[in-house]
Amino acid sequence: MESTLTQAEPFCIVKNLQVLFHGRNVLQGIDLTLSGNGIVVVLGSSGSGKTTFLRSLNRLNECYPGYSSSGRVNLKLSGTMSDINHSDLPLTELRRQVGMVFQTPNVLPTSIAQNISLPLKLVTGLGKSEREARLVEVLQEVHLWDEVKNRLKDNAFRLSGGQQQRLCMARVLALKPQVLLLDEPTASLDFKTSHKIEDLLIELQEHYQIIAVSHSLRQARKIADQILIMKEGRIEHLLKKEKFEDPKILQKLLEEIF
Amino acid sequence: MSRLLDICVYSWSWLATIKIFLVIGCLLWFLLSRGLPTLSKELFFGDAPVLQAIFGQVRVWDALWPACVGTLLLVLLAGLIAVPLGIASGIYLACYASSPFKRILSMSVELLAGTPSIVMGLFGFALILFLRDTFLPEANTSLLLASLCLALLILPYLIFTTQVALESLADEYQLIGPSLGLTQVQTVFHILLPAAGRSILGGVVLAIGRAAEDTAVIMLTGVIANAGLPHGLFGKFEALPFRIYYLAAEYQSPAELNSAYGTALVLLALTGLLYSGAFALHKTLEWQWNQH
Ligand SMILES: Nc1ncnc2c1ncn2[C@@H]1O[C@H](COP(=O)(O)OP(=O)(O)O)[C@@H](O)[C@H]1O
Ligand SMILES: [Mg+2]
Repeated sequence: MESTLTQAEPFCIVKNLQVLFHGRNVLQGIDLTLSGNGIVVVLGSSGSGKTTFLRSLNRLNECYPGYSSSGRVNLKLSGTMSDINHSDLPLTELRRQVGMVFQTPNVLPTSIAQNISLPLKLVTGLGKSEREARLVEVLQEVHLWDEVKNRLKDNAFRLSGGQQQRLCMARVLALKPQVLLLDEPTASLDFKTSHKIEDLLIELQEHYQIIAVSHSLRQARKIADQILIMKEGRIEHLLKKEKFEDPKILQKLLEEIF
Repeated sequence: MSRLLDICVYSWSWLATIKIFLVIGCLLWFLLSRGLPTLSKELFFGDAPVLQAIFGQVRVWDALWPACVGTLLLVLLAGLIAVPLGIASGIYLACYASSPFKRILSMSVELLAGTPSIVMGLFGFALILFLRDTFLPEANTSLLLASLCLALLILPYLIFTTQVALESLADEYQLIGPSLGLTQVQTVFHILLPAAGRSILGGVVLAIGRAAEDTAVIMLTGVIANAGLPHGLFGKFEALPFRIYYLAAEYQSPAELNSAYGTALVLLALTGLLYSGAFALHKTLEWQWNQH
């Protein structure tokens, strides 16, 4: 099924994308064109291939054994559509530009500051003072600065789950990505903390193209501009905001699928 | 019923833990009570004047000092050879090797781990014989050869612990590096190794202990009873475990046997010192990782 929204220039074009692990088809020929502004939320039952789909946008599936794929993915990076498999785009550069935050916060077992500073140094080679400026900037961007400014040398594990997740986001943002992939970023967090992160995402959508997997209908309706529904490795529906504003329609669609 | 099982399991694990302390306590008490009274200047230096003995200006007879230096050098050399090699092989197995090749390699490492130390010694000995018959007629057993064979002996511990430490890091942790756009080398050295550092340190400690106590390897590769301080890499040397071995085997008087206990105590202390060295090195690296 070809899912298209055509009123604006697309930022993501996927053509007949197949992903296999150990010969088993996990994504079965995805055709998709995403355009417009705002957050794209991916919904679907567990095992439907949401995570695999996200990981195929920054080629992270390649880190797993038994991976093979076919098809094409084009993303809008620095204003132009680029084939993510093209040799002109080095893998490390693609992954810097397409940042990813995982389901459970995965901070480095080192200080809060170093969590941001170390990858920044390795990827960009920036000097110490520039890194420190960037550190403050991104911690403010994720509203963590006031909470941690006096304890930057503390181990990141001492932060709460929600703080850790925001630190992980800051770590990605420090590298100045253009696309953000979020894989159920609030799955391991409580209700109140989830709300904080959702509000943060709504702010961040101004500056980054966000594609987020969600496990909650409520969350999807709150933050999404478009909803992508996956089932058994296929894109089942692509819904615009008008469609899911009415909770009944969305509920019905989801019931069909789960 | 399940409550009863709970209690049983609990008391069993509790007893098992206590047992460890008991065993260590008994061993230490036994060693201390026999060995402590023998610790003296004479045990270390015989009748030689201390300062001159330490710097090798005076030959020390029938005392520990040359064996202490010998063991220290032996372990340091073996570690210097084996630790970088072992950690590098572990990294290769965990992060780079493709699966059919990996299986063969892992099997070889297991085989190496299962090789008795006396075989390792024999191998070193045979190597010298071979060298003598071919292009190095003056080759002889020596400190270097013993260190090499010891390095071979401890290599599998280091490989295994490094590999397991890296592989047991959570999937999501392993993905941090790649997902941020780090190269594989950066990921290994800046993200994975520091997180696995503690476990690798455990392997290094195990390896140090093994190298410090082994007698079979060095007996065939260069240790002798009265070598004095080691004369360079190609000289013979003394070592603490070997001294304990022959004191215990050929003692002439109870006092001599007791001095074997004293020697054992010294070996224990020396090993502890080496552990602290490894620990300090790890702390330094960790500290460096935390700087930005
Ligand atoms: N690295 C992998 N190796 C093998 N199978 C995988 C891997 N990743 C995902 N799969 C399989 O692909 C299917 C979809 O997984 P995933 O994308 O994680 O689903 P979701 O995120 O929607 O729960 C599952 O059946 C899963 O077992
Ligand atoms: Mg998932």
